[in-house]
Amino acid sequence: MLAVGANGAGKTNLLEAIHVGSQGFSPRTRSDSELIRFGTAASRVVVRGERGGLPVESTITLRLREGKRASLNGAVLPAAEQLRSRLSTLVFTPDRLAVVKGGPAVRRAYFDRTLGRIARPRAGLPAAYASALAQRNAALRRTGAGLSSRDAIAPWTENVADLGSQLYAARRDVLTLLEPGFGTRAEALGLADARLRYEGEPPSRESLEARLERDIERGFTGLGPHVHDVAIVSANRDLRLFGSQGEQRLAVLSLLLAEAELVAERSGVPPLLLLDDVLSELDAARRRTLAESVPGQGQTLITATAASALPGEPAQVIEVSPGHARTA
Amino acid sequence: MFSPSVENLVAQLTRLPGVGTRTAQRLAFHLLRVPSEEAAALAAAIGEVKERVRFCRECGNLTEQEVCEICRDARRDHAVVCVVEQPVDLISVERTHEYRGLYHVLGGALSPLDGVEPSHLRIDELFRRVEQNGVEEVVLATNPNMTGEATAAYLADRLRGRVRVTRLASGLPVGGDLEYADEVTLGRALAGRREM
Repeated sequence: MLAVGANGAGKTNLLEAIHVGSQGFSPRTRSDSELIRFGTAASRVVVRGERGGLPVESTITLRLREGKRASLNGAVLPAAEQLRSRLSTLVFTPDRLAVVKGGPAVRRAYFDRTLGRIARPRAGLPAAYASALAQRNAALRRTGAGLSSRDAIAPWTENVADLGSQLYAARRDVLTLLEPGFGTRAEALGLADARLRYEGEPPSRESLEARLERDIERGFTGLGPHVHDVAIVSANRDLRLFGSQGEQRLAVLSLLLAEAELVAERSGVPPLLLLDDVLSELDAARRRTLAESVPGQGQTLITATAASALPGEPAQVIEVSPGHARTA
Repeated sequence: MFSPSVENLVAQLTRLPGVGTRTAQRLAFHLLRVPSEEAAALAAAIGEVKERVRFCRECGNLTEQEVCEICRDARRDHAVVCVVEQPVDLISVERTHEYRGLYHVLGGALSPLDGVEPSHLRIDELFRRVEQNGVEEVVLATNPNMTGEATAAYLADRLRGRVRVTRLASGLPVGGDLEYADEVTLGRALAGRREM
């Protein structure tokens, strides 16, 4: 599906609304009040469609100064966040380039979200690790300040080592699953020998104990998955440092397509793909490759300023003008 | 908005766990409506528990005596001590009628983030009891969450070798369906499966 319209017509807005309606949150902002039009008190998104051959309808209602409410097929969900575990939507926006060119924290968060989507039983690991880490750091700071003793740090060291090793293993598994698809997609789009390289060692009780004094001094745990990184590499070049803007974009797209394939394979239902402004910086040959590598059975929404930007015929064209979107 | 004494009552009620401003206002107006004796009875009951109820010298449970009823009961097994976080946890274990030993109430769980250190819990008292009272087994029954597990690990590290240390099992709720079990619980139940 192609959404066309002039700059500022509201294409991204449409895409964001679909994301909010199918996932319960915006890819652009964490502040829900930004999703409500100025001067009004509430907003609502209803998304109707089909998932694996069955009809599906989700509703998100946002009110100023109140929590959001989500319902799926008429049943109210206990938390709007649960929508994302029921419906899969993957999104590309130009902001997503940060996954390749941003700091390690962006990549850790990105791959941890992927972990949640493709290995659901382990989805809680990043949060569990973060809270063990916060406890250990607090224990380190309290010990440094003379409020506590070294032996009170020990149970948290154990926790960090245990959950940290699990998170490390889970992330390695995710990369192992993603890498083949990522390599193939990237190759097709012109990134030779693209790889995902995990950088970091699993924490152990011994390695944490060995740096206890330094950690107490800094009030911070200096090793573990929270300081690891994933190098996104093509032909042995780290694209974060040496990739062009175009290559970085291709890498993010390849990651997204590889994940879409995995989600489809694991859940049996292809995710909804929302690709905002992907075509603008790609040459004609790559646009064609992208159009061809978009999964056939699922639904994909691409935004562009002109219908001619997409090679081939989209199944549906939506014309977007300020305040309106209608099928052509 | 209200008179100062009503404001004060609302403010005091808001300090109770689970009570927000709305609920506090409702409770305050309810108290204003009821006969004086009824309100006074509530005030007296609060004063009385604060005056009479204290922590058991031995186990930290709530009691009106120096030593609680459980600790005084000679029919109970004094060689086994079950460690719990709060007095309510003790009541839960008691309700099973499966446990005939004694208890030790810690008064919370280790949590550096909330400033809770080993010295803030009744941990030294536990070690003293183990040392002096011929305890043979300590059952760690802290909550199966992160702070409870860390507390159990901390205690186990220090008790190992001196006494038998056991931990409550984690697993599936009885009468439940596998279908509705969350992944973490089911994973733990699998890890702790036993021979039949």
